Amino acid sequence: MLTEKTRRDFLRLSAAGVFAPTLSGWMPVMARAAEATGRKPAKSCILLWMDGGASHKDTFDLKPDSKGAGEFKPIKTSAPGVEISEHLPKIAGVMNHGALVRGMSTPEGAHARAKYYGHTGYREGQGGLIYPSLGAIASKELGNPDGSLPNFVAIGGRSFGSGFLGPKHQPLLITDANRGVEDLKASAAATQFENRLGLLDKMEKAFQREYQADAITDHKTTYERAVRLMQSKEAKAFDLSAEPAAARSKYGTGRFADGVVMSRRLVEVGVPFVEVSLGGWDTHQDNFTRVKNLSSQIDPAISALVTDLKERGLLETTLVVWMGDFGRTPNINARGANPGRDHYPRAWSLAMWGGGIRGGAVVGKTDKEGATVVDRPTTAQDYLATVCELMGIDHTKKNETATARPITIVEKPKPFTSLIV
Amino acid sequence: MPYRPLVLFLLTAAGAVVLGEATPVEAQTAQEKKQKRLEKFLKKNAKPDEAPAKQPEVPVAKPVAVADPVKAKDAAALARYIDGEIARGLAEEKLSPSPRCSDDEFLRRAYLDIAGTIPTADKARAFLDSKDADKRAKLLDELLADPRYGRHLADAWTAKLFPADSANRFVLKEPLHKWFEAQFNANAPWDQLVTALVTAEGSVEQNPAATYFLANRSVDKLADTTAQHFMGIQLQCAQCHNHPFTTWKQTEYWGMAAFYSKVVADRPKNANKGGDNTKIGVHEGPAQSRAKDFFPESAKTVPPKFLGGPEPSLGTRDPYRPVLAKWLTSPDNPYFAKAIVNRTWAQLFGRGFVNPIDDMLDENPASHPDLLAGLARHLSTTGGYDLKYLVKAVCLTDAYQRTSRPTPDNKDDKYQFSHMTMKAMSPEQLFDSLAEVTALGKAAGGKPDKKQAAAGKGAPAGARAQFVNFFLAGAEVTSPVDYEAGIPQALRLMNSNIANNPAAVRGVVGSATKPEEAIERIYLAALSRRPTADEMKTLTQYVAKAGTPTTAYGDILWAALNSSEFTLIR
Repeated sequence: MLTEKTRRDFLRLSAAGVFAPTLSGWMPVMARAAEATGRKPAKSCILLWMDGGASHKDTFDLKPDSKGAGEFKPIKTSAPGVEISEHLPKIAGVMNHGALVRGMSTPEGAHARAKYYGHTGYREGQGGLIYPSLGAIASKELGNPDGSLPNFVAIGGRSFGSGFLGPKHQPLLITDANRGVEDLKASAAATQFENRLGLLDKMEKAFQREYQADAITDHKTTYERAVRLMQSKEAKAFDLSAEPAAARSKYGTGRFADGVVMSRRLVEVGVPFVEVSLGGWDTHQDNFTRVKNLSSQIDPAISALVTDLKERGLLETTLVVWMGDFGRTPNINARGANPGRDHYPRAWSLAMWGGGIRGGAVVGKTDKEGATVVDRPTTAQDYLATVCELMGIDHTKKNETATARPITIVEKPKPFTSLIV
Repeated sequence: MPYRPLVLFLLTAAGAVVLGEATPVEAQTAQEKKQKRLEKFLKKNAKPDEAPAKQPEVPVAKPVAVADPVKAKDAAALARYIDGEIARGLAEEKLSPSPRCSDDEFLRRAYLDIAGTIPTADKARAFLDSKDADKRAKLLDELLADPRYGRHLADAWTAKLFPADSANRFVLKEPLHKWFEAQFNANAPWDQLVTALVTAEGSVEQNPAATYFLANRSVDKLADTTAQHFMGIQLQCAQCHNHPFTTWKQTEYWGMAAFYSKVVADRPKNANKGGDNTKIGVHEGPAQSRAKDFFPESAKTVPPKFLGGPEPSLGTRDPYRPVLAKWLTSPDNPYFAKAIVNRTWAQLFGRGFVNPIDDMLDENPASHPDLLAGLARHLSTTGGYDLKYLVKAVCLTDAYQRTSRPTPDNKDDKYQFSHMTMKAMSPEQLFDSLAEVTALGKAAGGKPDKKQAAAGKGAPAGARAQFVNFFLAGAEVTSPVDYEAGIPQALRLMNSNIANNPAAVRGVVGSATKPEEAIERIYLAALSRRPTADEMKTLTQYVAKAGTPTTAYGDILWAALNSSEFTLIR
């Protein structure tokens, strides 16, 4: 008899190409690439999400000779020929480890829908499903299901979750990195907590003996993981008070800086995916003051992160991505005395560091105004598939929904991996 | 991990052997047929590069042509009919059923399945001590008359018909929930309830059912939910391409969607700017709208057409939705009654005759096709779509009243209902059950913000809604049979004040002075049963060893609330 689990396995396996004449198409390409460059897939990804949508023309794709050039000047970086905003001088120093994608072009111009699409590669409402975000995909494909650490951590506000992959791949949410994980501290003194766990263990064993259900085992596994997290030394990664003050101050101050410090600490203990968000980029008004201020937050944090990862030998296996909802209008609007820029998904930039990419690469190009992508337009699917390839995730794999619909991790992408490794 | 697909490949090689062995040439049972179809599908599907086989024309679906197996509206007779059919399946599979469940299993199960929560300690004690031979049937009547019956079903249906979506974030959810609650408690016949939903007009204030259209703001979402929830059919795939599993074509999808093309739903106002969303509503406009939520290149505008059925002749000025509702709920629709029977069965057994429950395609046959058809026929005719009657009859069956303890002989059975499936509480059931023991919600500061509510903002996230969102963790629903909570949820249950509340311990233990009495109260309150002799022995020793009994009682309650026995429905 074919059980439901077996049925699911067959669907999954068939998706992996077992019954098909060839194995999934990207494998040989990746294998060749890995052979040629000697690179190993990245083990972790830190996604820095600029909530609201960062102005590309005022950060990584300056157009000093355009109509809406704005106030900022470009500066040279450690990557030959690559220029970025003058308010990102420290990041300029690590661009030799980074790559820029200047041809992002996406179809969603409203925040919620754009964030959904950027995190999942699917349009909200498409096919009547909630799709998993990149972090949940990494958790499922790369995470250790029985480890003492969560496989997806989101710091600093709401993130997009696991969708149909289910609660097991939902991020552990950290509202304020300084306060660490909610409910992590035992509710009773150590001895009493041990006593309680002893009682619980007896109850679980008796119940399992009588009823023999899978759900009882799953419950046990989840509780064991939670208790191990409470007691593990890896959980110290969530405790920023353990970070030396001097090391911490390089990242700057504030919640975002704290979150980025925590992300590094989590990657050091093997968490595959951490997302840190920084709000405030929806600069319809007062764009230049605000972007300058926001730049002063990301500049020390990202440069310190890349430098620290490099020094610890983790940059090759850790991919850092900086991106947001969309870009902002090439023209400056006419909203009052301190105007800004409005939503602009048609052309924008994202940045990456580490993860085995070739430093200084630039993918795609916008026109003189920063308004239209003139070379290699890149969708969220293209970007997500690239991240998957860098992390050794087969993005052609189909995962199953609760109702057994096979859904490809990334649908119809044109990854640009070969341009950055 | 670049070698991952290779590992999968090896696994499959092994899997394929098992599949081959398990497939006899002359497939007999439904499961074997299902398996053969699956195999065929997999082989077909495995060659995506080849041109797809030519799809046959979609046949016009025929009405259910089964006789009503039970001529009178009689719950006991219907239960006997069900048991006869289940026994037939068991005999065919040579399975012997598990014995009848104990009173404590029945009590907790019936409470959670029908009222969505556990009984109080007093209720549990009274039921367990009652010598009334008819106490199980009486409990069913009591629970079906309990207003929490409507709340439990409203939780499930609101989640289905109000998907999380950025376009409906300001639409009020509470009026729809309240409407469902009232409809289910009044036991509105299912065909009438669905008709009221599908044809709803007016403002939220006048007719909360209109929320359905405010929450699903495009014809494609409406086509999806209608097919999925009222007919048990996953049509979404056909939105963008012909359905891969069946004969649905893309035009069938857009033909269903077209029935909703004249719906005009007001835009929800921005609640953050004080918009009042009780006044917005829905009406049937004069002309077809072309707005679609997700518009694939290949989407076509097609005239309204019943799914797998004919194209009705409609004047341009005729309202479309009443025509759809009439067909949807008519005996000509082969899916409608089966879908609600399958759903109700799954609500009580953790799985339907067809699984997934909303995938009732010919390619995915039922475990008990005759029983499903017979129950659908009975419910839609003699039964008058009376859902309380259906629940009562099913809960009276031997099948429902079997223990969830498997026997060595039937432990691998997943299809024949030889023993009850262990179910997992939904987040709502978990919250309500914890609240029953700990006064959660009253203590957790879940007071609704009156000012916010008055300003018409989104439903204030009370303690229950917050808890549910935390346990849903972004999903729309949790699995009825799998334990799906993760580390954050386990941490919350272990370390927050939910299971660490001295007032709750005092409330449960009450005036008990002897440890035996206190332990019994904790077990009755949390697990709806008395401790076994073994448990009592261990726990009294535990209390004796502890410095203060109250601390020990707190520990025992903590363990009970965190146990799998608490969160699972046995």
